Amino acid sequence: MKKKLILQTIICILFVSVGVYAQKTDATINSTLSGTVIDEKTKEPLIGASISIKGTTHGVITDSNGEFYFRTGQKLPYILIINYIGYESKQFVASKSTITVELRSSSKELNEVVVVGYGTQERKNLIGSVSKINPNEVNSIPVGSIDAQLQGKVSGVQISSPTGVPGESVNVRVRGATSINADNDPLYVVDGVFINSNSLQSISTGGKSTSPIADINPNDIQSIEVLKDAEATALYGSRGANGVVLITTKRGNYEQAPQINFSASYGQAKAAKLWDLTTGPQHAQLVNEWWVNTGKDTPSLNRTFANRPFRPVSEGGRGLPEEQQTYDRLSEAFRTATLQNYDIALTGGTKSTKYYIGGGFTSQEAILKPINFTRASFKVNLDQRVSDKLTIGVNNLFTRTYRNQARAGDGPQGGLLQAALHTPTYLSPYENGVLVGRAGFDNLTLLLQNYDVNSTSLRYIGNLYFEAELLPNLKLRSSWGADYNNYNESEYWNTFLLLGAQGGLATSSITQYTTLLNEQTLTYRKRFDNGHSFGFVVGNTLQSDQLNRTYAEGRGFANNSFKIISSAATTTSTQNWSKSNLASFFAKADYNINGKYLFNASLRADGSSRFGADRKWGYFPSVGAAWRLKQEEFLKNVDLVTDLKLKASYGIVGNQNGIGNFAAQGLWTGGASYQGGAGTAPQQLANPDLRWEKTNQVNIGVDASFLAGRLGVEFNVYSKYTRDGLLQLALPSTTGFANYWSNAAEISNKGFELNITSTNINKGGLVWTTSFNIAQNINKIEKLATPLRYGSRDLILQKEGNPLYSFWVYKQLYVDPETGNVVYEDVNKDGKITTDDRQLVGSIWPKFFGGLTNTVTYKGFEISAFFAYQYGNKIYNHNKFFGEGGGARDAARIIFASNLARWQKPGDITDVPRPDGINVNNYRDGGSRWLEDGSFIRLRSLNIGYHLPKAIAKRIGAEAAKVFVNGTNLWLLTNYTGLDPESSASSDQNAQGIDLGTPPQPRSFQVGINLTF
Amino acid sequence: MKLIKYTISIGLIGLLTSCQNYLDVKPLESISDAQTIYDKTSSETAIRGVYSALASTNYYGTTFQSIGYLSGDNIQWTGSQSQVQEFINKKVNADNSTIASAWTAIYVTINRANNVIAKVPTVTDPALTTDLKNQILGEAYFIRALAYFDLARTWGGVPLITKPTASPTENRGIARSTQAETYAQVLADLTTAEPLLSATTNRYRATRKTVWALRARYHLYQKEWDKAEEYATKLISDNASYQLVKPYSAFFANDARGTAESVFEIFYSANETNTHRNQWQPQTNGGTRQWAPNDALVALLNDPKVGGGRSALVAKDNQNRWYGNLYYRTPAADPTYVIRIAELYLIRAEAEANQNKLTAALADLNAIRSRAGIDASTAQTKEQILLGIENERRLEFALEPHRWFDVVRTGRAATVFNVTDNNRLLLPLPAGELLIDKALVQNTGY
Repeated sequence: MKKKLILQTIICILFVSVGVYAQKTDATINSTLSGTVIDEKTKEPLIGASISIKGTTHGVITDSNGEFYFRTGQKLPYILIINYIGYESKQFVASKSTITVELRSSSKELNEVVVVGYGTQERKNLIGSVSKINPNEVNSIPVGSIDAQLQGKVSGVQISSPTGVPGESVNVRVRGATSINADNDPLYVVDGVFINSNSLQSISTGGKSTSPIADINPNDIQSIEVLKDAEATALYGSRGANGVVLITTKRGNYEQAPQINFSASYGQAKAAKLWDLTTGPQHAQLVNEWWVNTGKDTPSLNRTFANRPFRPVSEGGRGLPEEQQTYDRLSEAFRTATLQNYDIALTGGTKSTKYYIGGGFTSQEAILKPINFTRASFKVNLDQRVSDKLTIGVNNLFTRTYRNQARAGDGPQGGLLQAALHTPTYLSPYENGVLVGRAGFDNLTLLLQNYDVNSTSLRYIGNLYFEAELLPNLKLRSSWGADYNNYNESEYWNTFLLLGAQGGLATSSITQYTTLLNEQTLTYRKRFDNGHSFGFVVGNTLQSDQLNRTYAEGRGFANNSFKIISSAATTTSTQNWSKSNLASFFAKADYNINGKYLFNASLRADGSSRFGADRKWGYFPSVGAAWRLKQEEFLKNVDLVTDLKLKASYGIVGNQNGIGNFAAQGLWTGGASYQGGAGTAPQQLANPDLRWEKTNQVNIGVDASFLAGRLGVEFNVYSKYTRDGLLQLALPSTTGFANYWSNAAEISNKGFELNITSTNINKGGLVWTTSFNIAQNINKIEKLATPLRYGSRDLILQKEGNPLYSFWVYKQLYVDPETGNVVYEDVNKDGKITTDDRQLVGSIWPKFFGGLTNTVTYKGFEISAFFAYQYGNKIYNHNKFFGEGGGARDAARIIFASNLARWQKPGDITDVPRPDGINVNNYRDGGSRWLEDGSFIRLRSLNIGYHLPKAIAKRIGAEAAKVFVNGTNLWLLTNYTGLDPESSASSDQNAQGIDLGTPPQPRSFQVGINLTF
Repeated sequence: MKLIKYTISIGLIGLLTSCQNYLDVKPLESISDAQTIYDKTSSETAIRGVYSALASTNYYGTTFQSIGYLSGDNIQWTGSQSQVQEFINKKVNADNSTIASAWTAIYVTINRANNVIAKVPTVTDPALTTDLKNQILGEAYFIRALAYFDLARTWGGVPLITKPTASPTENRGIARSTQAETYAQVLADLTTAEPLLSATTNRYRATRKTVWALRARYHLYQKEWDKAEEYATKLISDNASYQLVKPYSAFFANDARGTAESVFEIFYSANETNTHRNQWQPQTNGGTRQWAPNDALVALLNDPKVGGGRSALVAKDNQNRWYGNLYYRTPAADPTYVIRIAELYLIRAEAEANQNKLTAALADLNAIRSRAGIDASTAQTKEQILLGIENERRLEFALEPHRWFDVVRTGRAATVFNVTDNNRLLLPLPAGELLIDKALVQNTGY
């Protein structure tokens, strides 16, 4: 009901509001004044600058030609105050009726306006650690979602794309990870609406999941702010522990002539390289070697050269190695993918109305057939001044995201990369003229022809707000928002495919996720004559999240033409429902002494329905202070230093995301039926003491800029310590339960972030700027009673005293040149290699990471090269583990070409042992040979753009026109022997860094055009 | 302005009055554990929940069963997970995930049974008649007996848990009992269950006859031959209810279920699926064929003089590979055969042979051979007959969880499996359990 009401209201506002105008005044007119505001250097008109007459409340804003107009009761001359973001404000004495005002551009960095929790702030007054990103720099990177585009752009934010499939989830970690079982993803806020960032996917794509962030069209975004420290995130207290990503979408300006922006791009993407596999004869050779070797090791097996598998057919074998064929499946599975993107937007405004209407369409094929991603989006933002004191507005985002999906991860049945990559090359796709699957996998050709798995996400994100000035300087804002997602998935596996072999299998899953949000804030700001200023915000939020899922499955279809579950012989269905509520109150106050000393403090209280009865409320305070040294006398006249600020903050933030909505309650399930009769059984033990996970964070930073702003430096060091970490604490099985939710872990993150921007050349129209960031985060599990194992073959072990996501392996020391066998480190020196000899060797955390952007503009040309890098992280090459089985997996798995470097005779020096039985010694599960250095530097994107001269643009009827070419992932430097050092098979946050069956991020080229009318 | 004040007032009132309720959200898919078994219906649903645990994938669905046959000498493994190979190599490590899953699933079953045993006697609902109450309790005691029997034969002595767990601090830190004490618990539960249950025939749920059948097996394991013979006879003589169906495949082929062959089989359906088939069936039948009959077993089953009708247990796929075909149904509703009448014949044969009742023993053995369509045994001496029984069991229960336990209990693992280290005859306790519960001590040799 509530949802319906909100929608109705929104629709009302959309269509009715146009008739409302500002109040008319009938005062006496004593003068008229018209003028133009222009940039001091470029003489370009400035649109949207605000001009007010000193001593009055009368103000106007420049139009799209930079012009303004006053009719006023004041008599000339009078003083105008002109303000414009990014420019120094100016007082100007108007003595005649037509004037031109020139504004001087201020140091861009300092006066940049940054969106922070419940408000905006100029960068120079920031106490917290906030990074701002202009999405224009990255939104041509064809990866589907904005979070993936940000990789390398934000210092201290580690973003990795575990797959080359557009629109799939990426890992975003703001200053490390704080939790084992609760989420480590940041909170995403779109125009004040807390949106769901957890995938609603329920079908299996081999551990991968789709990203709900991909429902947002990057082209609709005006700016992205990442709030990192406690001071910045404290107002989002309950969810601030992992950082907050504030997304602000585009809006119009008052008094702006309608402007249409159109952009289109087209491109292609391709894998930069594919795996290097053995040929059929090489495969056969290795299998024969393995056969003979194991025969020598264990004579009772009766394996000899005479009865080797690849012996002449006449002797009952599969033919000699040299008689084997080689079948290339990889090039059948991969393709040159097509990318298309179209956006059109209308912005503008009248005196009292401003609007943004945007429409976008994106279609991106994955390089792996038949996966694709398409998104059609529609955005309407509207603000209406009802009176001088009241503004009402709406934000609306409608999106439809359609995906052709496929299992591009782990999992045998329907596993696309398994069928393409893990099937031995010597095996023909045919048996007796019929296409057959090999090695337990589907037949690739049949899979590609018959794959029918898709999902459609319908998403609405929006809110309705009003903002009223109750008293001078006191504003009330109330907002009613919703994030509604209808996620519809279907699969059909026909009889040509393994999953459908028994008469076909169809599934349908419809998930609805609804977030309803209501929020009030009261904002006060007072500037005193002595240069001090004071402000506060108080507010409250109510948020309700609900998930409904209905799943149906049908098996046994008359033939492959029937695909809908109703025509299946057997059908089953399930339904899920879950809900959580959150109530919050918050307050923040700041005090600014002369722009020199800045202080603030905030407190937020959050009540969550997820916790124990007496533990629902958590309290999250923060304090911060900054000292702008540049404002002190001793620096005021030092020209070298443009600005210098020291800042420090401390606060506590919380986390509850990712735990079950009913985690604290003792539950019995009703799903334990037997013989068709309902059955009940214990499901979960209560923990009435379950409470908030809390992270303390200290941040100390320096913001400096030199040489008239040409060199900017921001440096932060931080320390985060998480207590009461939410953990599914293992219980001894004798209790009859596997685990229960508890607050049992402690985790720390310490690190630094450095961000340097410089204008290297700015001469004669040639501008060369560089932006560089580097960050380090040291993660450590401070307290964890029992180690926890994750990932295939327990490759990841979370253990006290070590970083999260550390790899747990048998460390291979060398291959004995005499025997050809692997020698592992015998940690406990008991002469045997057992589980006790597994050790933690490295983790997924890089020692440092960041990005480097160089941009050169000259006249209409613009070239920008953006590199992302990380150093010192490990990745487990699980594909290679399977592909370097030394022949032991025989016809069950591919053999990689790298296995040819195996030991063959005494004296051979190699790290690849002689072929013997899997898991016995040389090809043991969890061997460190496949744990590799995942460091890399990649040319993430290269953009070349050209702004056509105005005269040419005019000829096609446009105000401005730009053409561009763009390349991504053109260059990659890494020691990793897999395809992509960012690959990870699973979207399980505890099983990252394991590369299995994952398509790499593609190399792509695009050409495009932007037109402004 | 009025509008604004109005909105604020509504907002604040709504907020303050409902905050406490607002933060109190109850699930719809589950119920609170505060009140679980309190009347006839909830007693009935709770005992079904115990069966459901017995039927779960990690207990009698797939995992526990696989320990019994993978550890034998009939099955080969074609997949990539080492935990399966460890059973075939008979070198199971303490961190093997199969044993951890099975251990957990069995204790889940025990906890559910304990809930019924503790709470059903307190139910005062008049609709819950004494007979029904007794039946429910008897079933719970039977299932708990089976659970401890499975624990004892696989791991030896285990912690004995007989009360339901109500909080995370309960039923932990309890030291292992000895294997003898664990078996004593089995016998105690069976003895308690026997009079509570009526001597009816129900192949999907426990009755007094089911208790007798498990007692026959229990006494066989204890080498209490006379008792084993006595209890086996109670079933075998009940001709009206239990028969060796012919041909051999009649108890499972063509979607058969609940045949006269079955003393106790677990019921599965399209909604309560048994994923066991996925491990056995070839890819073309929607399975993975992760484990498959090995060459030796295929040869034996296909030898008309040895396997006879039991060759129906294996079939060939489109790439000429053999696969096990006992679990094959779509939807995956294959029953799990916990106790078949054939087993009682072979239990009695072994018990008789050990009491030197050789003729009777041969007769029981030959009943099984005759049903399989092969000639009578030529064994004469006690040793020959016992060996005959052992080999018969290998084929009769080729894809059921008997081979490992049979060879271990007769003390012939060294001869048959070449396992000379006696410590290997009990599997290791799951390493994860030892980490969490310091009261647990690992089996010797691990």
